[in-house]
Amino acid sequence: MPESLDNVKAANPGPVLDYELLLDCVHCGLCTSACPTYAETGDENESPRGRIYLMRGVTDGKLGLTDRVRSHLELCLDCRACETACPSGVQYGKLIEPFRIAMDQADASRPRGDWFRRYILFGLLPYPKRLRWALTPARIAQRTGALAVARALRLTRLLPSPLRRMVEMLPSPRRNEGALPEFLPAIGKRRATVALFTGCVGDAMFRHVNWATARVLQHNGCDVHVPPTQACCGAIHFHAGANEPAWQLADTNLAAFDPQRFDAILNNIAGCGSMLKEYGHHWHDSQQPARAAWAAKVRDVNEFLDQLGPERPCGEIRAVATYHDPCHLLHAQKIHDAPRRLLALVPGLELRDLPETELCCGAAGTYNLMQPDMSSRLSRRKIENIRHTQARVVITANAGCALQIAREAREQGERLAVVHPMEILDWSYRGITPRWQSIS
Amino acid sequence: MDRSTLELADELRRLLGPKRVLDSRSDLAVYECDAFVLEKNCPSVAVLPESTAEVAAIVRLCNERGVAFVPRGAGTSLSGGGMPVGGGVMIVLTRMREVLEVNLRDRYAVVEPGVVNVNLNKRLAGTGFHYAPDPSSQGACTIGGNAATNAGGPHTLKYGVTVNHVLGVELVTAEGEVVQLGGPIDGSPGPDLVGTIVGGEGTLGIVTKVWVRLTRNPQGVRTMLGIFESVDDATQAISAIIGAGIIPAALEMMDQGILVAVEEAFHFGFPLDAEAILLIEVDGLEVGLDAQRDRIAEICRAHQAREVRFAADAKERLQLWKCRKQAFGAIGRLSPSYCTQDGVVPRSKLPHILQRIRAIGKKHDIRIVNVFHAGDGNIHPILLFDERHAEQVKRVLAASDEILTECLACGGSVTGEHGIGLEKLSFMNRMFSNDDLDVMGRLRDALNPGGLLSPGKLLPTAGACGMEQIHPGRHAPV
Amino acid sequence: MHNTTLSRAEAAATRPVSRGEVADLVREAQDSCMPIELVGGGTSLDYGGRVRGAARQLDLGGLRKVVDYEPRDMTIVVEAGVHMSDLAATLSQENQQLPIDVPRACEATVGGAVATNWCGPRRFGLGTIRDYVIGIHAVDGRGVAFKGGGRVVKNVAGYDFCKLLSGSLGTLGVITQVVFKVKPLPECVAMVVAKCPDLAVAEDALSRLAMLESPPVAIDLLAGPGWPSFSEDSPAEGCFLALRLEGTKTEIDWLFGRMQAELAAAGTRGIDRLEGGQGENLWSHLVEFPECGEVPAPSDGAAAKSPMVMQVIVPPSAVTRFVAELLSIDSRASIQAHAASGVITVCFSKFTPSDLSPILIARLRPSATCAGGSVVVVRTHLEGLTPHLIWGGRNDAVVLLERIKRQLDPMNILNPGRYVL
Repeated sequence: MPESLDNVKAANPGPVLDYELLLDCVHCGLCTSACPTYAETGDENESPRGRIYLMRGVTDGKLGLTDRVRSHLELCLDCRACETACPSGVQYGKLIEPFRIAMDQADASRPRGDWFRRYILFGLLPYPKRLRWALTPARIAQRTGALAVARALRLTRLLPSPLRRMVEMLPSPRRNEGALPEFLPAIGKRRATVALFTGCVGDAMFRHVNWATARVLQHNGCDVHVPPTQACCGAIHFHAGANEPAWQLADTNLAAFDPQRFDAILNNIAGCGSMLKEYGHHWHDSQQPARAAWAAKVRDVNEFLDQLGPERPCGEIRAVATYHDPCHLLHAQKIHDAPRRLLALVPGLELRDLPETELCCGAAGTYNLMQPDMSSRLSRRKIENIRHTQARVVITANAGCALQIAREAREQGERLAVVHPMEILDWSYRGITPRWQSIS
Repeated sequence: MDRSTLELADELRRLLGPKRVLDSRSDLAVYECDAFVLEKNCPSVAVLPESTAEVAAIVRLCNERGVAFVPRGAGTSLSGGGMPVGGGVMIVLTRMREVLEVNLRDRYAVVEPGVVNVNLNKRLAGTGFHYAPDPSSQGACTIGGNAATNAGGPHTLKYGVTVNHVLGVELVTAEGEVVQLGGPIDGSPGPDLVGTIVGGEGTLGIVTKVWVRLTRNPQGVRTMLGIFESVDDATQAISAIIGAGIIPAALEMMDQGILVAVEEAFHFGFPLDAEAILLIEVDGLEVGLDAQRDRIAEICRAHQAREVRFAADAKERLQLWKCRKQAFGAIGRLSPSYCTQDGVVPRSKLPHILQRIRAIGKKHDIRIVNVFHAGDGNIHPILLFDERHAEQVKRVLAASDEILTECLACGGSVTGEHGIGLEKLSFMNRMFSNDDLDVMGRLRDALNPGGLLSPGKLLPTAGACGMEQIHPGRHAPV
Repeated sequence: MHNTTLSRAEAAATRPVSRGEVADLVREAQDSCMPIELVGGGTSLDYGGRVRGAARQLDLGGLRKVVDYEPRDMTIVVEAGVHMSDLAATLSQENQQLPIDVPRACEATVGGAVATNWCGPRRFGLGTIRDYVIGIHAVDGRGVAFKGGGRVVKNVAGYDFCKLLSGSLGTLGVITQVVFKVKPLPECVAMVVAKCPDLAVAEDALSRLAMLESPPVAIDLLAGPGWPSFSEDSPAEGCFLALRLEGTKTEIDWLFGRMQAELAAAGTRGIDRLEGGQGENLWSHLVEFPECGEVPAPSDGAAAKSPMVMQVIVPPSAVTRFVAELLSIDSRASIQAHAASGVITVCFSKFTPSDLSPILIARLRPSATCAGGSVVVVRTHLEGLTPHLIWGGRNDAVVLLERIKRQLDPMNILNPGRYVL
């Protein structure tokens, strides 16, 4: 399409970038095939190299920030698979994230804070209580079967698109467990004192995973503290370009967890974990060293247990399963072996390799709400790969991935149970035989 | 954008629909170069066809309009093969990425040109077969591009380069006909046209389908490191190993300069005071491997190897290979910019060329480190510099030129696997006589008579010595 | 060899001793429009049909220098007229080899082997001659001397004339010098034979061998009365497998065990390991077969030249099916199939001009083409076969090759009528 001056926005988000980081890219192209959007479209503008080129072009003033440029940058999942692939160590996340924030802020003409962003994304998602409350009607519908009926009749299509996707995303209800207490003592000899970060979506939709995590930690001799004043990690805001609220949430968490008291600050959601680990990088004020010290204590629970040396689980879990690597665990936190090693301990569990496991499932935080088309293409691809393994159980360590994969499976009529590694360990430690039927 | 380009884009949109035709300035920017970044030029239009018929239609349209066109895969060429000289239509083949057939009994697979090298091998995982050519960029580069450049890689020492593994191609000719050369069976009668097209750097036709040979996985493999006090000893050991009648699956060398960077990046435990390390791999029958390994270790020790280490398990082996394959990336830790060459010398000249490289580096005051396919004599000296200093840049160019000239003097070549492309055009006159180039020109004219396909590549234009380099590349893995 | 009378062209043979002289002679020929026939060792002049209408022969036997041999580089530079046996002798002094097996190696030349892209039984394990050519000097049809490749094993500078001239049968250039990469000689060699009661057993054995991690370097399937040493007690439909193993002694022992197990599981009988003279004897039979091509005469059973030798190239999985078809056409035919490569050489016991249409044109060629393969008449007593009949129709490759031919040999001076160009 020919360039027209109208859609060239005057503001240039370039200056927020560390220009040296742009120069790290030598244009070798080795990142391209790792990028899910490029794997789908084959257009280099939708590859990391292309996006860096675009950002550099805009920064250098050679390209305007046109709608086309913007759309290529917005289509990025921020899955960071390219960082794993890059031999030159380009820190892509440190380019795309601030650039998108600046891009959003610089663009006054765009309808910012539309109702969805204002109320759902920023008003609801970060607050587990509000979220639980807001989900009540849908939960009731779900429990009574009304949601299934509505889904079957495609009535959910009447909802506005992002909201519809959210409803479609709702996981099947599990036994309603209460909130976690502030303290859960170690079972047996105490080996560590840890704090558990429970997350916003995590606490609202995956409380059973938080319980499972806490029990597994107890079983492994950990005193588990759950600080009540903790808040959302801020990843949703940060990645959607809302820097200020993310900053505030980070400092709330800084105050809620005293890093001196704990051997580790644990989390079980890859997306939150990588945000928590990056607290030290994002904001440069007097608190920065404190945030860096805090972040140094953050561990994913798989990572932590693997290092601690897990107690051998005894309960047999008979299942053919496959493990899907969440981008924010594999690429952002470089955790690949730990969950696999943990799962390999579980008697009876057959873990099969998932083709293209390193490729994003399309969830990518709120990406599935903002870029539904690409998101669906990627989740369809993921299900296709899962089907290839013939596994009926998908294990993954991230809430977003779990929701996304479960939704796609449901849409395709594929009966899959999607669970967290800690759930598997928990069942095995407790000798419980999971009823896959009720989970899938 | 001029009128004729607009019209061309419109016609292309009629062929492909609106989404697979790129003609906005911002969309074309990334296509202005590949991994060779010295020279840049935007195509007028980039198109993403999904079938052979679409490619042929695009080519015919370009012929009707007299517009140049150039194919592109993943754009990982280190010689500028995917850069559109003079603009025109760029035919991006990355959407043609299906593995169409895998036949183990007859040992071939049929792939579209946009299939990423490593994806074919992922697809073959568990079958006991693999596709042998393994360029270090295999995680991203496409089989179509591999065929165009006749790509190599570490394991080509034993298994041969791409041309030894391509059985047939479907080709869209420069005039837009679709032809099939070769096929699933190795050995069509007559001149080896498939072997001529492979390595033609996209100037003889556009490959739209490739029949590749599948290779049985070896029963066993042994990987080891020979650690040497001096580069000389290491290079002498290479000749001795091969001279002893052992063809390792791979034989790679890293010198001290690169070891420091690799060690910092991957913490493998390389000794930092050794001058050179050989990474040696043998494969084949289990029963024979330990003997082969011990024999190599013996030869290394006879050449003053300080130590020979064996990779204990598959994981350690992978780690070693990761160090090797990602060595270039680690260079970023040594210097803000670097430029790598792709010279080849007869194996027995390795000690000589490495001494010369050291002397050339000293003479021009440029730090040069080495990591390369030693078994093939394919050297990749990496010249470290800071591109912001114009005077350093000049010295790097002069040093590069001297190194390649020395390769030619040794009876070698200026490119073992990266291709001539744009980068090495100026060397063609030095490697080949006018008569050689005249016959090459005739071969190109036979299959690319209008010269619209990939103009300005591989062959210097008459009278010119290619473009003068004003700036060295910042290069990526080899 | 069936050239019974010495033609006028042969009488006028010239024997240049340098590339410069070759270039001069070709230029002369072009200027006077006198086509030339290229002759190396003369062993394959009728391979795939003879040159037609050549005014004189260019005998390249005078180019017989070993130009350079650096064993440590495992490369050798030789002129085109060097005999394959001499090349082998030179290399074996350094324990090296060019693993290409040509018949009549004492006469056959390096240039001829490259020009025919000859392949012998070890093609499966070690490739064809084109895989070993890393540099080439030649003279085109205008008398322009040119080269491709170089002296290093890895080289992608310029167009790869090494490949273009491999199999070109002298139609695109006169090969004057070749650089080969070579291999170490194996420490040990063993031949293994096994008898298959029928082709179904052979097929089972072949598919097992094809999937092995460590296959033999050669897997030949032999059928018909051309194999006297094995056919004494075999029924008409019976056939043999002949395998060649290469490696160290330990490797060969292990391999033999493995082969024995697979062959037995497939139901073959009389599995035997031949070493020393017996093995060499069989091996030389396998290498020379396409050349001697002898079949028992229908009248008295005495060995006689086959009137028709064809090469049928099909996918490896189709080999036994085609062998069956060939035997159903002529139960007295002698057949050698490099089974794992899909190359079948068949010597018919009888073949008349009237057989051409029903057997070659209507039957073998369509079914081979259909399987992705081809049929070539390697040599025949029959007169007057057109190149297209010999090589098959004018396919896509030929269309492109004709364009190349016009550029490199515009006056059609080089080997006119050879191949389809």
